[in-house]
Amino acid sequence: MARQDALQGSLPLLLLTLLARRGPLHGYAMATQIEGMSDETLRVEEGSLYPALHRLEEAGWIKARWTTSGTGRRARVYEITAAGRTQLDTEEARWKAITAAVGKILKHA
Amino acid sequence: MSLWSRLGNVFRSGAVQRELDEELQFHIDERTRELIAAGTTPEAAARDVARRFGNPLRLREQSLDVKLLPWLDSLARDVRLGLRMLSKNAVVTCAAVLSLSLALGACVAAFSLVDALILRQLPVREPGQLVYMTFPTDDPERPESETSSDPVFVALRAAARGRADLFAMSTQVMRPVRFGGPTSEKEPVRTQYVSGDTFERLGVAAARGRLLTAQDDVRPGAHPVVVVSHAFWQRRFSGDPAAVGRWLILGDRQFEIVGVADSRFTGVEPGRPTDIWFPYAMFDPRAFGSFNFGWTRVFGRLNANVRVEQAQSVMEMAFRNVRRDWAERVGANESPASLARFVGAPLHVRSAANGPSPLRSQFERPLWILASIAVLVLLIAGSNVANLFLARAAAREHEMALRLSIGAGRGRLIQQVLIESALVAAAACLFGLLFAAVAAPAVVGMLAPAGDPVQLSLRMDWRVLAVAGGLTLLTTALFGLAPALRASRVAPMTALKTGGGRSGARAGVMRPFVAIQVAFGLVVMFVGTLLVLSFAKLSSVDPGFAASNVLLVSMETVERMEEPPQRAALLDVLERLRRLPGVEAVSSAEYNVLGRAWTSNPRLPGRGRETIETTMAPVTPGFFETMRIPLLAGRTFGSGDMGVDNAAAIVVNETFARRYFAGAPAVGRFVEGRMGNKNVDKYEVVGVVGDTKYDLRKTPAPIIYMLLRPATIGTLYVRASGDAVVLATRLREEIRAANPLFRMTSFTSQSAAVQQTLLRERLLALLAGFFAMVGLVLAAVGLYGVLSYSVVQRTREIGIRVALGARRLGLVRTVVAEAGQPALVGAGFGLAGGLYLSRFVESLLFEVTPVDFWSVVLPLGTLLLTALLAAALPALRAVRVDPVVALRYE
Repeated sequence: MARQDALQGSLPLLLLTLLARRGPLHGYAMATQIEGMSDETLRVEEGSLYPALHRLEEAGWIKARWTTSGTGRRARVYEITAAGRTQLDTEEARWKAITAAVGKILKHA
Repeated sequence: MSLWSRLGNVFRSGAVQRELDEELQFHIDERTRELIAAGTTPEAAARDVARRFGNPLRLREQSLDVKLLPWLDSLARDVRLGLRMLSKNAVVTCAAVLSLSLALGACVAAFSLVDALILRQLPVREPGQLVYMTFPTDDPERPESETSSDPVFVALRAAARGRADLFAMSTQVMRPVRFGGPTSEKEPVRTQYVSGDTFERLGVAAARGRLLTAQDDVRPGAHPVVVVSHAFWQRRFSGDPAAVGRWLILGDRQFEIVGVADSRFTGVEPGRPTDIWFPYAMFDPRAFGSFNFGWTRVFGRLNANVRVEQAQSVMEMAFRNVRRDWAERVGANESPASLARFVGAPLHVRSAANGPSPLRSQFERPLWILASIAVLVLLIAGSNVANLFLARAAAREHEMALRLSIGAGRGRLIQQVLIESALVAAAACLFGLLFAAVAAPAVVGMLAPAGDPVQLSLRMDWRVLAVAGGLTLLTTALFGLAPALRASRVAPMTALKTGGGRSGARAGVMRPFVAIQVAFGLVVMFVGTLLVLSFAKLSSVDPGFAASNVLLVSMETVERMEEPPQRAALLDVLERLRRLPGVEAVSSAEYNVLGRAWTSNPRLPGRGRETIETTMAPVTPGFFETMRIPLLAGRTFGSGDMGVDNAAAIVVNETFARRYFAGAPAVGRFVEGRMGNKNVDKYEVVGVVGDTKYDLRKTPAPIIYMLLRPATIGTLYVRASGDAVVLATRLREEIRAANPLFRMTSFTSQSAAVQQTLLRERLLALLAGFFAMVGLVLAAVGLYGVLSYSVVQRTREIGIRVALGARRLGLVRTVVAEAGQPALVGAGFGLAGGLYLSRFVESLLFEVTPVDFWSVVLPLGTLLLTALLAAALPALRAVRVDPVVALRYE
């Protein structure tokens, strides 16, 4: 539970970043990559991954299409849209501002 | 964009769900594969994945909520479920939809008629400022006339200056107009004489050419120009631009068509669109300056800030002055009292926003009555549907309880039931609109005889659609809510425990609806019966002549002739027709026996200056034989009477003889006055004939039959020995052969002419009678439904009772009492309501009153008998309940 909470609020940012830098990915790949890159610190629950993805999709920040995966199955891959890139910039700036603020408090309090 | 994609997803929610499932399944499979590759056993891998995923259904729902509009999705689901539920009970559903659409359609049709004839404003500039005037008459049955004479109009116009601009528009009359040469066929067109400024005052523009102006209305007889209506231009000239500049002939004058009016303006009389407008100055020259020609309506456009009451007082004053002048000019033989009455009789200024219309004054009340009946039938049909859903709600108690106990909100349940009734109502609305689109024009066709049809523009505009939609919503709310609340109020525990739909739910909730149905049903039947009885009485009135097998043939002369040769020619035609096989008798008369007539005020010798009032009927010899009007004394006209120039013979009817000769023999007496023949002013009564009615509703009026002046050829009356209509073609040929100057234009039968005078009564009786039947059937169906439901519900109870030895008769009584109570309560209210509402139809009734024996017993008896029949089947079923089966079933 604690690990999931750590992700609260930042999952859309992570997903957008991932899609912006590593191109079209399906849900499972995004989950494993986040886990891999964070050395298992951040674990993405399926229960929050897919609703988050679908919300981003409905907002028009990412779009989905069906492709054939390496194993020959139909997989739904997502890619970031132009609107998504703008949103990514906003979210990134906000994240940086928050972490900077938190850092300041940790340092000076 | 997001809303749209979600809206779209609602309608492909199945596909959306499948895609979601596939996406999630892919994820599960990938992870499982990887875990196995890392060395986990397949079982452990599957467990691990399942644990991580949690409840896949919830996951799916979460995503669905994102992808779809949840409320819309639930709505769409309820619609699908509702359709499934309704199609399961297809017969019942069809009956409900059918009865509702009939009632809704009737309401919509009634509204579109009321709208077109009564409510809609004239398509002119600021119709609210328009007024017209009504003038006093001596006739107590029709105290107001819409027409007046030229001097009155001129005086009023001068008096109104500064407050209102007055203009004149004559009554509309069908006149024969030729569009080709002087011998071309005459075509009947609706004509109207209007003062020159009329179009300007109304604010009507020209579609082609120009409209009439004040310059076209200066000197009587000097302005041979006309304007045609857009519809007429399209109909007669196919919209040919060259029609402007063409000539037409009316009487013996030529007129030039100078323009076409704007297509939206069809005249000021709803239902009677004008074809051609003539300048006021081109009317009969004798009418100008004469008080005796009452031919024109007086309209006005009030100036801004002038109210109707102000205009009224000014107009009244001016009217009094002009009446005083008139009385002084006519003569001094009147008593001061009658003079004061004449001068003081008031004129009325009325709003002309929706146009003055004789059609409206004739049909306004009938239309409102029919509209009210339609609304009552809608209420009956609505409560039927409510009962249907109540029964279904009870039958689905188990399902509802189950849904409630696994967490469905009551709101959702209410929504579900409401949606079902809304589906029924929406379907009914659709069919109702279709029904109205057919029914409304059919009713319009019944408003007037075929020769002079009413043309109402029945647009399916937003107002009609709004009424249809509003009624649909109202029906749903009114009659869907009770079942919906009933369905949601189940207590899951009891409902589930007692099992399938027999939780002691009684038909009690339905009883109010049974009472409503019976009450409204009785009101509709009561009013319907009154109107049908009245029409039956009216149809069986003896008009005093034998109408069957008599043809009325309209004839015209191709060219003008001098009087003596024309008279000879006419007599010759009559003689030749008489010799045709199949013809029993032939004659001619100026007016239809039951149609328009003119009255005159001759004097009796020895009675001073006192005048009498009588209807004048110019006829040829043979008329009484053709119409089979009995001769009571003296003789009828002989062919010798017709041949002479100074014929002074007249025949009077029984009422005339009784009223004016007070029982003394009438034959040989004299009547003085102008009766058509310029050279004679003293006429001798040569015979007395039986009374005939010019209006079937009224008592016979005094009539003087005089010899027809052939300058006006009226209608030929032909009595056939066999089928009269077959004879018509032969008559046409024979008339042409007899004299090429005569031409038969149209024909009808006397029976049809009699029927035509009863159009309004027939329309009312037909429609009210029809709705009375519909109301009766619906009430019976409702009663039957509730009773059968109640018997089904109580099968077990009845079984126990029978097993315990209950008498069968007692069972029948129980079942019948179940319906009897609300039915009797409803009948009481219905009777009271019917008696109260019958006041509004009373003025339309003929020799029938609401408190007659038959007017009360007929509807009440029929209704109670029907109710008994409706109760019989369920009662029989209750009696046949086999206790063993009933108890084992449980």
